[in-house]
Amino acid sequence: MSRAHRGRGGVLLVVVALFLASGCAGRSGGAGGAAGGELPPPIRQVLPNGLRLIVQDHRAADIVAVYLYVGVGVRYERPDQLGYSHFQEHMLFKGTDKWGPGYIDRTVEGVGGRTNATTSFDFTDFYMLVPKESTETAIQTLADMAFRSSFDPNEVAREREVIFEEANIETDNPKTAIVRQLYGMVFADNPYGYPVLGTRPTMNAATSAILKAYNKQYYAPENMTLVVAGPVDVKTVRGMVDRIWGVIPSTGYKPVSAPTPRPLTGIVRKSVERPEQQARLALGWQAPPTNDLNGDTVDLLTTILAGAESSRLAVRLRDQERLVSSITMSYSAQMGGGIVSLRAELEAKDLERVEQIILEEIARMQADGPTEEERQLAVIRAESQHAFDTETSDGLANAYAIAETTWTLDAELGYVDRLGKITREQIRDAARRYLSRADYARIAFQPKQ
Amino acid sequence: MSRRITASLLLALAIVATAPPRRAAAAESAAGAVTRTKLANGMTVLVRENPTAPVVAISLMLRMGTRWETRQNAGISNFLQLMVVRGTTLRDGTQIVSVADRMGGSIDAYADADYAEIPATALSRYWGEMLDLVAEIALKPSIPDGTNQAVRDFLARQIRNRADKPYDAAFDSLMARTYGDNPYAWDPLGLKESLERMDRAALLAHYRRHYVPGAMVLAVSGKVKSAEVVARAEGLFGALSAASAPAPNATPAPAPASARAVLTVPGAQAQILMGGLAPSLTDPDLAAMKVASTILGGGLSSRFFSELRDKQGLAYTTAAREPMRVGAGYFLALLGTAPANKEKAEAALREQLERIQRQAVSGEELRVAKASLLGSLAMDRRTNARQAWYMASLEVAGVGHEFLDRYVAQVRAVTAADVQRAAQRYLATVRTVVAEPAQ
Repeated sequence: MSRAHRGRGGVLLVVVALFLASGCAGRSGGAGGAAGGELPPPIRQVLPNGLRLIVQDHRAADIVAVYLYVGVGVRYERPDQLGYSHFQEHMLFKGTDKWGPGYIDRTVEGVGGRTNATTSFDFTDFYMLVPKESTETAIQTLADMAFRSSFDPNEVAREREVIFEEANIETDNPKTAIVRQLYGMVFADNPYGYPVLGTRPTMNAATSAILKAYNKQYYAPENMTLVVAGPVDVKTVRGMVDRIWGVIPSTGYKPVSAPTPRPLTGIVRKSVERPEQQARLALGWQAPPTNDLNGDTVDLLTTILAGAESSRLAVRLRDQERLVSSITMSYSAQMGGGIVSLRAELEAKDLERVEQIILEEIARMQADGPTEEERQLAVIRAESQHAFDTETSDGLANAYAIAETTWTLDAELGYVDRLGKITREQIRDAARRYLSRADYARIAFQPKQ
Repeated sequence: MSRRITASLLLALAIVATAPPRRAAAAESAAGAVTRTKLANGMTVLVRENPTAPVVAISLMLRMGTRWETRQNAGISNFLQLMVVRGTTLRDGTQIVSVADRMGGSIDAYADADYAEIPATALSRYWGEMLDLVAEIALKPSIPDGTNQAVRDFLARQIRNRADKPYDAAFDSLMARTYGDNPYAWDPLGLKESLERMDRAALLAHYRRHYVPGAMVLAVSGKVKSAEVVARAEGLFGALSAASAPAPNATPAPAPASARAVLTVPGAQAQILMGGLAPSLTDPDLAAMKVASTILGGGLSSRFFSELRDKQGLAYTTAAREPMRVGAGYFLALLGTAPANKEKAEAALREQLERIQRQAVSGEELRVAKASLLGSLAMDRRTNARQAWYMASLEVAGVGHEFLDRYVAQVRAVTAADVQRAAQRYLATVRTVVAEPAQ
């Protein structure tokens, strides 16, 4: 999509969160590794009301990134609440008791900043990137959005239509649609398989009062993390946050444990006829949850199989046999259970052959493990991703916020070092344990005959 | 100059989720003076030292792209780029990506309207090796016959896939109508018929014309030392014999006209596009028209977004674009909506284009639009990759990276009267393309 902008909270962003943020930035950020060097470590503090605050001094630009992560997302929704986390996210931009719709956009863009939000399974995030002089405005505006949104019934009705359009876009885009459906197959009857955008009946049932109650239930300081990164002074930031966020009373919110998915058994297959001529194949497996350190090994495994340009499957299927025009594999960690997904673009006639080769390569990895060169390559890619994350204040802020929300900041900071210690045998064993050739989900998009 | 990464196989492969999402990014770095060196053979080398993160970004850019093409060889620049990165006299395409992977980086090649690029990134400790690899691809490509056919097939599928995407199909149709025989009429991917004609001899001839020092700019940004980069570049490129860039295809675009076309496309959404010619990079109206475009559809506070999406609920996606072009630019208003809304949405979009010609914009709108426009520029320049891209593309465009300082000053000086005048000049006559799902 070459749209000038994607709209806030779009499904595209949701997918970005799934495959870039959760899968990678979340696990593979890790400042403080050997490569970082110049950056001081982040400061983490907890306010008396439970709000977690992380401040990172980062002087590459005069831009401050402020990220708010809230522990609410699709996995918190009951079946009759599907889509409410995302609807909530949209409504926080539509006005508060202090200002009306459009205020945020004018305020943030009026100082040359940017703002957007994403809804995912374990969290909802909001960010503002602003010139450093406007740091307090960003911190204040995010607090107003979180705690003082008005949920005007007319705005609720209008925004519902906008979200229905967003659903049309998701359906039209095969890249996002196939991922969405794969989640539904890998996490059958589990919130991680629910649609982020909800369903027509649940969305039509959402009223101003219902969304307000949802806000009250989850938007509590003890269920939030605020990250401020940029050319900032910790004391000054803490002063602002105390003044603006410190006065919000805690609500006694107790976190809900993430639902463990039912194991995937057998090969779940699905073929979908689509209007596009480009065929697509996606395979999915259940994988370790965020707090399981086996996830580190799965990160290396997926990089070696199809997560890099010179990965095994890319070389064999794209360069040697020329059966796919693209192939990629990634691990996305979530609190209740992760997912490994493999996606390829190919011609419909090659679907079976490509699936067969993928299974062959998995079998080879399960028998012999990776080569030493492959192991090193996967580690260096993780190091490099961390290094590129440190280029910008928002890259770091986002990685920290995801880690704090779904894992721990410390686990994140030690990530690159831990990866370096993983052996080839461990990677082989992870292939045996997590990439079953008998239990996986498989979906194909094919052109209509 | 919105970067369009069409047709780049390596990127299309979207390998991994490791690339940080290319979000709008923020400001001028505190680091940041740029050194410019002209090698004896005429090649330009630009280096920006930025010690913040242990990474480096390299952009080797060429005066080559659709602007130098004709309808007969449309797409040859991008085709050639895909070929150079797929094999040199020293290694094949798989070995190239493997070497880049081992440096914690990436390398790619593609062409756009006004330039062709070989972009590369790496951990900064490998900056020298990565520069060697970029030079090897640029100077020793093998352009093997076998790969030629595979890449041609890949490109044919990309062209086919564009026709399946409602927005792309509508956009291509609008550009073809707006530009006629001017080379901006086609996507950098080219045209099906012209690609079928391109053989190795044609690619080699195109290579020899464009891969010359006078057409080449090397830009490097990251944790590097300027003097060391220049010395290494001199060693790698200094032996090339001097030659200057070929002249672009100057066929003018047809006069603007009010016209409307309807296409049938797959999907659930209808796409409405309206647009026409707009100022070039060096046109005095550029800044005013960029501000007009920002007021209309430049961000979440724009008129399209607040009126058409937020107040009237007529769209999820709506925006205006006015990318910088060395030749005649274009303005584009776009809106994606449910088919049931399409008549209403088209009328509402048209009304927005008329209103900005009719009434002067308010001081507050002007202030917000300028801040938003300049903020986006600053945000987009935060990463080393984007810094290298800006330095190289502005040098290739002939204005130099200093252009941005002048541009920023021009934007600040734009008045409400300037905006109205530019809108009247460029928005009075627009073409419309509606792409709608089959009933």
